[in-house]
Amino acid sequence: MNRTKYNFSFSSLLVLVAGFFLFWEWLRPLEQITDTGSMYVFIVYTAFCFAVSFFVKNGWLKFFLKAAGLIFVIDYLFLPKFFLSSESIAQLFEELQLNFQVIQHAAWNEMTPIFRSLLFLTLLWLMSYLLHYWFLIANKFFLFVVLTIFYLAILDTFTVYVATFAIVRTVLIAFIALGLSRYLQLQDLSLPVDRNGRSFFRWMTPVTVIVLVAVGLGLLAPKLSPQWPDPVPFIQSTAGHVGFGEGSSVQKVGYGENDSTLGGSFIQDDTPVFEAYAKERLYWRIESKDVYTGKGWERSTQLEYVPLRTSSFRFQTFSINEVETTPSEATLRYSPESNLSKVPFPYGSSFIMAPNGANLFQDRITGMMEVETGEGNLINQSFTILYEDPSFNIDRLNQVSENDSPEIRNQYLQLPDTLPQRVRDLAAEIVKEEQTRYGKAKAIENYFSANGYTYQTEDVSTPEQGEDYVDQFLFETMVGYCDNFSTSMVVMLRSLDIPARWVKGFTGGELKPDQPSLPNGFHLYEITNNNAHSWVEVYFPGIGWVPFEPTSGFTNPTEFYQETSGEALTPDEPQESTEQQEELEEQTQPELEENTAEQEESSETLAGNDTGNGNVIWVMIVSAVFLFIGAVIGLMKRREIRDWYDKRRWANISRQMELDKGYLYVLDALAKRGYQRQKGQTLRQYARSIDEQMGINEMMELTLIYERYLYRKSDHDMDRDNLRHLFQKIIDQIFA
Amino acid sequence: MTKYHKQVSEILDNIQKVIIGKEREATLSLVALLADGHVLLEDVPGVGKTMLVRALAKSLNCDFKRIQFTPDLLPSDVTGVSIYNPKEMVFEFREGPIFGDIVLADEINRTSPKTQSALLEAMEEMNVTVDGITKSLNKPFFVMATQNPVDYEGTYPLPEAQLDRFIMKLSMGYPDEADELEMLNRTDRRHPIDEIYPVIDKTQLIEMQSMIEDLYIDQSVKQLIVQIASATRKNDYVQLGVSPRGSIALMRAAKAYAFIHNRDYVIPDDVLFLAPFVLTHRIILRPEARYEGMTQEKLLANIVNSVDIPVRKELHG
Repeated sequence: MNRTKYNFSFSSLLVLVAGFFLFWEWLRPLEQITDTGSMYVFIVYTAFCFAVSFFVKNGWLKFFLKAAGLIFVIDYLFLPKFFLSSESIAQLFEELQLNFQVIQHAAWNEMTPIFRSLLFLTLLWLMSYLLHYWFLIANKFFLFVVLTIFYLAILDTFTVYVATFAIVRTVLIAFIALGLSRYLQLQDLSLPVDRNGRSFFRWMTPVTVIVLVAVGLGLLAPKLSPQWPDPVPFIQSTAGHVGFGEGSSVQKVGYGENDSTLGGSFIQDDTPVFEAYAKERLYWRIESKDVYTGKGWERSTQLEYVPLRTSSFRFQTFSINEVETTPSEATLRYSPESNLSKVPFPYGSSFIMAPNGANLFQDRITGMMEVETGEGNLINQSFTILYEDPSFNIDRLNQVSENDSPEIRNQYLQLPDTLPQRVRDLAAEIVKEEQTRYGKAKAIENYFSANGYTYQTEDVSTPEQGEDYVDQFLFETMVGYCDNFSTSMVVMLRSLDIPARWVKGFTGGELKPDQPSLPNGFHLYEITNNNAHSWVEVYFPGIGWVPFEPTSGFTNPTEFYQETSGEALTPDEPQESTEQQEELEEQTQPELEENTAEQEESSETLAGNDTGNGNVIWVMIVSAVFLFIGAVIGLMKRREIRDWYDKRRWANISRQMELDKGYLYVLDALAKRGYQRQKGQTLRQYARSIDEQMGINEMMELTLIYERYLYRKSDHDMDRDNLRHLFQKIIDQIFA
Repeated sequence: MTKYHKQVSEILDNIQKVIIGKEREATLSLVALLADGHVLLEDVPGVGKTMLVRALAKSLNCDFKRIQFTPDLLPSDVTGVSIYNPKEMVFEFREGPIFGDIVLADEINRTSPKTQSALLEAMEEMNVTVDGITKSLNKPFFVMATQNPVDYEGTYPLPEAQLDRFIMKLSMGYPDEADELEMLNRTDRRHPIDEIYPVIDKTQLIEMQSMIEDLYIDQSVKQLIVQIASATRKNDYVQLGVSPRGSIALMRAAKAYAFIHNRDYVIPDDVLFLAPFVLTHRIILRPEARYEGMTQEKLLANIVNSVDIPVRKELHG
């Protein structure tokens, strides 16, 4: 019944090799969606395990070889000392001890790389065992093919991994391997498939040709674009960030790529990111981007982090000497749920006090600030920032010369060649009555809300291939969120030869009830993921970068004033109305404030994830796979498990040696092993067939006794020893 | 229960000497006889019906009578007549062939219903009434009636109610070639019927019959019988299902069958084995069943193959 032998043949080797390639497709995405490095080592180890499984027959030798391989890989990857030196063993031992403690405390984030690698290698080992069994002994290739395709489909849908070619490779390998697998089955059935190799080629040639032709045709054939809207946001919102939310996090790992395709709907996430103690509602800046691609934003330069040794900012958006400022102070504290690893800061920041042990790094071009702490994350850490709150003089802004330096022109006037002319025309049309740079910027900033452009986070489209993101928003959809507004403004300004850049960060957040412990004049604001935002900075020579807020429903918190009136006011709206409007927003449209684009935010979230969430996901994946393997092994060993269970039951029954219990047990045990008593089959007929199949006659003898007991209600001539003997014989046969 | 076991197998051996390869029919005939019932044999001529009955009669040391039913046979030809004895000046009753212990009623469907019913009444009531005088029949009394299924010209098929009085309906069928050859070899010199010797006598036979009546049948097996009978009544193909008399017949036959197999209790195997022989002639199918190729035999086979066999002791049993 149990086939443990298989043909040690060329074709079965091919099946296993195909299986290895399929399994490789499982490993490929890991490099992209998790922080797994040195993937080639793991693949080599997998190949080694497959080879050992195939060529080595002795079970103990297999075990020994695979274990040795595992230790060798760990040694190669992590241990500096020579292979198996006493130090390396000691280190390994120490690591294990540490990690078992970590597991006990369920502190997955603390697991060390060496232990994770060890787990992963063990997993690969088990998989090699399992797949070897599946392919060659159980000869079941198809299930694995189906699983592989599911796996790739899910990764392709929910993560950044693009399975376009993986799926082609999988289909190619899988169908050829299925042909091979069928060939092996035919050989097993010893159908007239001779083994001189000729028939092998006769079988495989058409299989290969058909598969290649089908795949070729499939690749060449025209394909419909997706007929459904992208299901991912729907699933994510339905799942309420529980299940697939994790998946979306994984998707966004890798910071720089994320703004490269803007558009699409997003869902609410009111997870707190940080709290701010400040005197007023501030915009928290994180970084800016300068290259518009027609679809989104990228950086023209690599991030170059410079340590902030003296805690003084070297990054400035405006020249302090030229702008009126008020010294101020704000403190931000990271929430327990936060996974932001950047430090946002208000305009005019000059000095930052970091917690002990935290080292700050800042990119001088974009202003992005990273923290390195001993703890590994920023939860509950506080930063106090001194900043010079700017207030721009409108007259001064109107008077600046418009001679930008060549560096600024080079970097901040870039536009893609594909930008449609009508965008430029519209920009020129909007500003045709304005003379100054400030006037033009203001005109464009106000254009959107004055012309029916609507703020909306749902049903926001993504530009089709060949379509421009800004063009689509300005002329077709006219609905969108901050990214649409801010990008459009930057692009239009650039088309008018005004240097501008796109800025990301957080809006001021929600005002919390005043805390008595706060110093006078300070308020507590809570900033959640929903407060993620993007806006615009326009360059004014001599003054620097001035923030603008084009998004409908949002107000620029930066102050502008005109010397003539002597009052500080925002030129478009008086101060009071601004506040009223903000309150209105919060009351009538709580969504609006909260809705502020979170796409950039989630990328922020994830930028810091490499060590935090990644580890948890990793642990989840590993435990899921272990569970799966356990289930499969359980399935494979179900006969043994069942036998073990039945034997235990028998041990109980045989102690009392009651005829009816024993007999019913035998009936049950036989039925479970495929010897089902047919309906209408009498005990005698059944016993006869069992005896025939097992080559014994005890079942009949026992049945006659039981029959007499059952239909005569008589048990006077029951000989217990004889019964015991009969039962034993049958039980032995059942478990044989 | 070893008392008559030897004799039973000797009787069966005797029949084997005469009729080769028909063990099942021989056994069933003996079952019917021991169960105090009667057999309807439906068969073509010349397959050994007579030999079977004669062998049986001779083994049991019983009187063997034969009635050849013809269209002009009168009831009195079966039961007997009163004849005036001038010497004694009284009417004397001359017993008809029905007063034999084992009666072969050959081609019963060839005679008029009046004569048929005379026989069937006698079978049922164990006595005959002639000229107002009721005379009891002997014990044992076993009728084996035959009917020829081939020609229906000028026949009077037995009505359903009367078929019910036969405990079972059998069919001999042709022997297979090897058996037929063996038969030729045996009859070559001397007819084997002459070699048969009596195994038991009438009193022993009667004792056996009463032992069978007292034989134990468990409640669960009785339930099985009821289950089968009621299944025939519920079936969609059936116009008339098995009567309670059929259930009783099945139980009696099962007891006798168990006795023959040297058991003092009935097992489900007995019931299932006998059900087709005891029940088929008691079922009338709907006309449409025939169009769908359903016969009584198939129907019963289906029922028997799907009954619930009791395999565990009922707590209340």
